[in-house]
Amino acid sequence: MAVDVHEAHDAERGAAHAPPPRKGLRRLTGPGWLRVLWFVPLGWVLATLLVISVRSAMGFEPLWELQVLIVSWTVIVPVAFLAGLGGFDYWLYWISGRPSRPEDHSGHGARTWKDYFRVNTDHKVIGVQYLVTTIFFFVAAGVMAMFMRAELARPGMQYVDTNTFNGLFSVHASLMIFLFIIPAFAGLGNYVIPLMIGAPDMAFPRLNALSFWLLPIAGLIMISSYLVPDGGAFAAGWTNYVPLSVNQADGNLMFQMGVQWAGASSIMTALNFLVTIITMRAPGMSFWRMPLLVWANFATSTLVVLATPFVAGSQFFIMFDRVLHTNFFNPDLGGNIIAYQHIFWFYSHPAVYIMMLPGFGIASEVISVFARKPIFGYRLMALSLMAILILGFSVWAHHMFVSGMQPWIRIPMMVTTLVIAVPTGIKVFSWLATLWEGRLHFKTPMLFASGFVSMFVIGGLSGIYLGSVPVDIHASDTYFVVAHIHYVLFGGSLFTIFAGIYYWFPKMTGRMYNERLGQLHFWLTFIGFNVTFFPMHWVGLQGMPRRVADYAPEFGNWNFVISIASFGLGASTVVFLYNMIVSWRRGPIAPGNPWRALTLEWQVSSPPPIFNFDEVPQVVGSPYEYGTRGARHAVLNGKATEAGKAPEPVEAIHT
Amino acid sequence: MTLVGVAVGAALAIVAVFIPWLPDAASEQADIIDSVYWVVTIICVVVFAVVAGVSAYAIYKFRAPPGDMDDGSPIHGHTGLEIVWTLIPTVLVLVIAVFSAVALTQAEDLPPDHRTIQVTAEQFAWTFTYPDIEVEGGKPLTTGELVLPIDETVGFEITSKDVIHSFWVPQWRMKQDAVKGITTQTTVKPTKLGTFPVICTELCGLGHAIMRSQARVLSLADFQAWVEEQQRLAREGGSVQGKELFTQQCGSCHVLADAGTEGEVGPNLDEALQGVDADFIRESIVDPSAEIAEGYQDAMPDNFGDLFTDPQLDGLVEYLLEATGGGAQ
Repeated sequence: MAVDVHEAHDAERGAAHAPPPRKGLRRLTGPGWLRVLWFVPLGWVLATLLVISVRSAMGFEPLWELQVLIVSWTVIVPVAFLAGLGGFDYWLYWISGRPSRPEDHSGHGARTWKDYFRVNTDHKVIGVQYLVTTIFFFVAAGVMAMFMRAELARPGMQYVDTNTFNGLFSVHASLMIFLFIIPAFAGLGNYVIPLMIGAPDMAFPRLNALSFWLLPIAGLIMISSYLVPDGGAFAAGWTNYVPLSVNQADGNLMFQMGVQWAGASSIMTALNFLVTIITMRAPGMSFWRMPLLVWANFATSTLVVLATPFVAGSQFFIMFDRVLHTNFFNPDLGGNIIAYQHIFWFYSHPAVYIMMLPGFGIASEVISVFARKPIFGYRLMALSLMAILILGFSVWAHHMFVSGMQPWIRIPMMVTTLVIAVPTGIKVFSWLATLWEGRLHFKTPMLFASGFVSMFVIGGLSGIYLGSVPVDIHASDTYFVVAHIHYVLFGGSLFTIFAGIYYWFPKMTGRMYNERLGQLHFWLTFIGFNVTFFPMHWVGLQGMPRRVADYAPEFGNWNFVISIASFGLGASTVVFLYNMIVSWRRGPIAPGNPWRALTLEWQVSSPPPIFNFDEVPQVVGSPYEYGTRGARHAVLNGKATEAGKAPEPVEAIHT
Repeated sequence: MTLVGVAVGAALAIVAVFIPWLPDAASEQADIIDSVYWVVTIICVVVFAVVAGVSAYAIYKFRAPPGDMDDGSPIHGHTGLEIVWTLIPTVLVLVIAVFSAVALTQAEDLPPDHRTIQVTAEQFAWTFTYPDIEVEGGKPLTTGELVLPIDETVGFEITSKDVIHSFWVPQWRMKQDAVKGITTQTTVKPTKLGTFPVICTELCGLGHAIMRSQARVLSLADFQAWVEEQQRLAREGGSVQGKELFTQQCGSCHVLADAGTEGEVGPNLDEALQGVDADFIRESIVDPSAEIAEGYQDAMPDNFGDLFTDPQLDGLVEYLLEATGGGAQ
């Protein structure tokens, strides 16, 4: 049924303005994978020649210096790839004065699977591109975790050497953070935000397409670091502390350069979200009528735009120290080792909220819909997001309580760190109050959302321990910290990503997922997660440091339990993938609004028409007026009905 | 609901109290830090009990029957409640903050009559220097294991020769990074006799997991005896002392039948030292990175040249030659 809509729009607006298909050898010059096929080797040759010619002109030996070549390759080859795929075509046409076809919507929508493999400007296609790509990297990073747990199952060294082990946890964390959690939220936001605010697309569709295509580049750079000769993958942790990272083998550059692409992608998407949310809301949608997911993405995007340049800078400085022989972090020549940590955490602590606030938004949507109640304390929920945004910038040094920085900073940073528990607590209590006197439907999204609330509370409370300086002096850099971040990022972020994927799966694919498999996935994940990560609190406090391939024999039994549970946790992902793939292909057709939700994305067909709304919706009230007969969030009618795709009348929700 | 909350709270309290979450407290600092830990734990148990109690009750009580199409009550908020759950957590975290700040000041308090010990970290070894104790040739006493008298406050001055390391003895609770270019400080007053692990907790490279030493806390008399013994060893050397040194310093990583050691991190010396000469052994100890045995990583500390006095090193080489069958004299 959705196909009809696509075809109607296609004939009407899209293909009419599309450029004619190229024939013969001219196909090699048109944007697409054929052009990538020769642009990428060309870029590689150019990058190599550039380095070799400059080095020979300067008289540097040897000419083939891998470090410098890696920098050149990881900058120029990706640009060549993007150019080949057509990421810059429109802008180059425009700059050079050639006809740029502003009404060309051939980049919109997906008619076949091939449309997901090109520079697509449709936010819905981009959202799916994001999610599929990030799940790929999630699985890759998860497999690395399985290797680590296999090694750690018994004390002593069994399967890998320490260099490989250090590489495994470094790449695991980097992929999970930069290629999964952050972009998975960007993907969900990409799909949902324009629909939620009643917009036809994001504000900058071409920028949106480009920011997606930077991601696979970043991920491939990080994964291919395993192939770097002499030392393999970067192995200084995702924090990449100096001087270790400066002294490491060439693979470390792959982290520094990979982060640049992931960071650029984040910043561009965040700017796009900000402009979209600020300027493209449907008439009547004031800030106080925005769904909380929109609020959450607004706060997150602000964080991304302000903070991400710091991590980019920190990694560039390391690259300069390695390649240009600068001395930012070399204490023998006036450099400052601890300065790196300040710059790094000035991004990476806000990054924790970048990885959490969108999850708060998803939880608010899901809990309100499946409790059939308005979200409790809507305004305070929105304001607490903004409070976290502001406070989030004032706590970074709590990662450095034992680093040797100026001792006095510890007390003020401890106070701000502990105070940030207050807005977070407000959110948790408000979710609980939303459940009160509701009519709770425990479908898979609700299971994951409520699982998130309880797990996040544990992660938040262990954060209080770590926020208190004296306790942190003991617990810092131990498995207690590993437990804490996994309760926050797995029990927090990942649970909400799962909630979001299940919740919007019908909207994105037009099909329902299998509820039984969804519930099985939840329970396997929930149990496997807790058995894996809860004992880590104990082994950490008892004296097991983090990031070790080997450990004292007394921790052998618990590590064995943790490893077995982690394999179960890994296996639960298979259930998820199976459910997604099979349901996407053969699941029952989804109605427009299977959850009887009020927000705008559910008032159109599943999947939505190519430009989302056939008529601009008029927002008339709060998005969460469950339980009030006749209350409406928005009015949609008119042309939508004529096009044969009547959105379900808002009244029907309350019958 | 209160019942559920109390039940959850009681269960949690049992988990919190009856599982030994923290290792033995063997320093004054440990007692101070543990008191903060318990304050935080009590507050967290109460908060989690409230959350879990409300959740469990709500999930049980408000679950919709299958096919239910009704909505819940249109409750939008409750200003009083929202003020309460903003104010109470604020007060609780401020209590924790004040308690923590006071404890921190107490734990780090360094009386003027303290003993100073310098800690030097490097990949992948610890060196402890006692600036107040002299050995052969006016050098300060330098060891690879930390030995302390009980009930005496020690100010550690910590630095690194290369990457960042972190000095931690779990039973003392105190931890401090070692950073090249600066000297960081921490304070410990050991209150229990015994042997405790010294662990590096900051990722420092290939040998991070094996960068360990031990801290021995002795009575004052035993400590003085130990100091004299160290001074004698530094003065005399010889193969008998060499064997003692080997067992202490090398045996955890190397197999040597004569000394009965069984470490497997480094090469088996019964095999590796067949037919080598004294110079090779000496170089392998002082500069272990010069030649790496096949199948092993470059993980042996290169601080033994600093740790041992010349007589000690001579004794160790002499002993190793004897123990592996004389070598090529």
